[in-house]
Amino acid sequence: MHRPPHLRRRSFLKLGIGSAIVLAVAGGTIALMKPGLVEGKLSPSARLVLTRVAQAMLAGTLPAEPDRQKRSLDALLQRTDAFLVGLPVHVLAELDQLLGLLASAPGRRWLVGLSASWEDATAAETYGALKSMLASGTELRIQACQGLHDLVMVPYFSGEESWAVLGYPGPTPV
Amino acid sequence: MSNTPDPILEGLQRGWKVLGGKHGALPERITCDVAIIGSGAGASITAELLTKAGLNVVIVEEGPLKSSTDFKQREPEAYASLYQENAGRKTKDKGITILQGRSVGGTTTVNWTSSFLTPPDTLKFWQDKFGLKDYSVEALAPYFEQAQTRLNIEPWAVPPNENNELLRRGAAKLGIKAEVIPRNVKGCHNLGSCGMGCPVNAKQSMLVTTIPFALDHGATLLVETRAEKLIIENGRITAVQCIAVRPNASPVNAAAAPTTVVAKHYVLAGGAINSPALLMRSKAPDPHQRLGSRTFLHPVAITTAVMGRTVAAWTGAPQSIYSDHFLHTQPVDGPIGYKLEVAPLHPVFFGANLPGFGEKQAELFRQYPNANVMLALMRDGFHDQAVGGKVELRADGSPLLDYPLTDYVLEGARRSMLAMAQIQFEAGATMVYPGHELAAGTSTWAATKAAIEALPMKPLLTKIGSAHVMGGCGLAATEKMGVTRPDGQHWQLENLSIHDGSIFPTSIGANPQLSIYGTVNRLAQGLAKRLSGKEVTLA
Repeated sequence: MHRPPHLRRRSFLKLGIGSAIVLAVAGGTIALMKPGLVEGKLSPSARLVLTRVAQAMLAGTLPAEPDRQKRSLDALLQRTDAFLVGLPVHVLAELDQLLGLLASAPGRRWLVGLSASWEDATAAETYGALKSMLASGTELRIQACQGLHDLVMVPYFSGEESWAVLGYPGPTPV
Repeated sequence: MSNTPDPILEGLQRGWKVLGGKHGALPERITCDVAIIGSGAGASITAELLTKAGLNVVIVEEGPLKSSTDFKQREPEAYASLYQENAGRKTKDKGITILQGRSVGGTTTVNWTSSFLTPPDTLKFWQDKFGLKDYSVEALAPYFEQAQTRLNIEPWAVPPNENNELLRRGAAKLGIKAEVIPRNVKGCHNLGSCGMGCPVNAKQSMLVTTIPFALDHGATLLVETRAEKLIIENGRITAVQCIAVRPNASPVNAAAAPTTVVAKHYVLAGGAINSPALLMRSKAPDPHQRLGSRTFLHPVAITTAVMGRTVAAWTGAPQSIYSDHFLHTQPVDGPIGYKLEVAPLHPVFFGANLPGFGEKQAELFRQYPNANVMLALMRDGFHDQAVGGKVELRADGSPLLDYPLTDYVLEGARRSMLAMAQIQFEAGATMVYPGHELAAGTSTWAATKAAIEALPMKPLLTKIGSAHVMGGCGLAATEKMGVTRPDGQHWQLENLSIHDGSIFPTSIGANPQLSIYGTVNRLAQGLAKRLSGKEVTLA
């Protein structure tokens, strides 16, 4: 079976996968996975995953009006790409694998617990699946959810649009 | 545009010898009396004393040289340029996120200025368990006094901001003593932005004190340059090989020949985690398997409160009130003790560290002006269930800390969350959110108490952070017990000294910067005398 270099089994296992269920997912998924990062930026499939995750995690925080929400999400993902630039190579390798796995159908189903496709998933469905990751008791599922949380929250709150939501006046001039 | 003078830009204009990054290409080879690896608390105190003694010093720093002109009080830029791993360094199982500095000045450039003496019970434990007879309160006192004078360390005389005052108010209602924190500042503007680099040079970090002194006295500073490997022959170091690195720590050119720094003596002060990692990459002798073990973090548990009035936790001295009550109500080697402090809150720190997400959390985000995050810094290293973590190397040679959170430590997280929540309610909280993935906010002390008591305290679910990394090259009176001799010399390598927080045989039980300044001040004065014959002091 052909495996792209970023999916070599040895590096894949570095993600810390220990449980049988995840190995089963990985075994079935490995040939189907697309990279999560391309040239250090989010791949199209990873952008879709993070868009849905952001809509769930930032429900009530992102603008509700569709056009404004889309602009906000586009800006968020742009900041995510900027955030990736500063990350060490070992973190990027993990994120590449994680986002690739989550974008695949078996990864979405078994790791996230989401039956709808990322394209079709509602914010409520994604929210429920993400909560199930935290409550699962499975180390990898909790780590994956927390990794997604960082990838969404750090770039979101790096943007000045979050200041109005929070009521943060910005830095004091000196 | 700030009108604040920038002592770094002024020094560069005066002709300081700085190379690396935009400051100029690294030479193939550079020779000196002493090579110092790192530029943080221990490295820079050492650099000032050695240059004062007339020694020719080269300082090697992995991070960039940033200064007040660069410090814009904005988290994304600060985290990317001033912190290890973009402020997201994590332990092996990702159970603890570690804030550790990575620029000239090390963590002192970005810390919150809290400056505590090493607690007497910590020193007593070192004397009793590690044979460190000279590490007494009395013997170290003059060295601490010099550091306090040099860095203007005094109890904060300005009224605390509400974020800190509420700790004092809530604690007082419960009969718990809370006191004023000494800070290393001069002319502080009370901005609250210490964690992003002081834009007005009020913080007396290494960046604006000892580093300028050393550079004015002839030292050479290599920046964006990582000490990759020590060359060891017959129990001595003969050189340190260095490479140019990018902001994300990857090599600028993996195929390029390394820069070789040749010195008579070497001082390792890259901080805990990084210092043991360099010794591991260099295959330094470690006959008793001590290297990298007993690495401590002061694991921090948190509770977030929404207070009944505005807190504005982003402004004002970040930390000015603390309580050591829960360090002193049980024996040092009993159930884990903890120090209580508060955290300054800026948007990324607040948004990214709150557990949970979704509609309910959106309500909490909007309560940000009224939010308070309380911190319990747990004192690890004093019990056989709190032996800390072990530094490992990844395949690329970068360090990774394996720090399993034991039930003993996590039980401390539960006790400290209970204490913090009660203090927050006494101070006027309307809601408290324990730092746990499965917790929800509750509006009364009784409900919060019941919730915290029922939470499963497990790694990952219990939100644990750290801003203090200590140990891994521990001091000990015998080579079987540690990596570093009581005088700072490596037990097996005769021309290597270790002068940073990695030498602490336990955690400190207090924010560690002054402990590093004080202990290293004594070690570096001894080293200066050995190498130059001259007596020098810090102040």
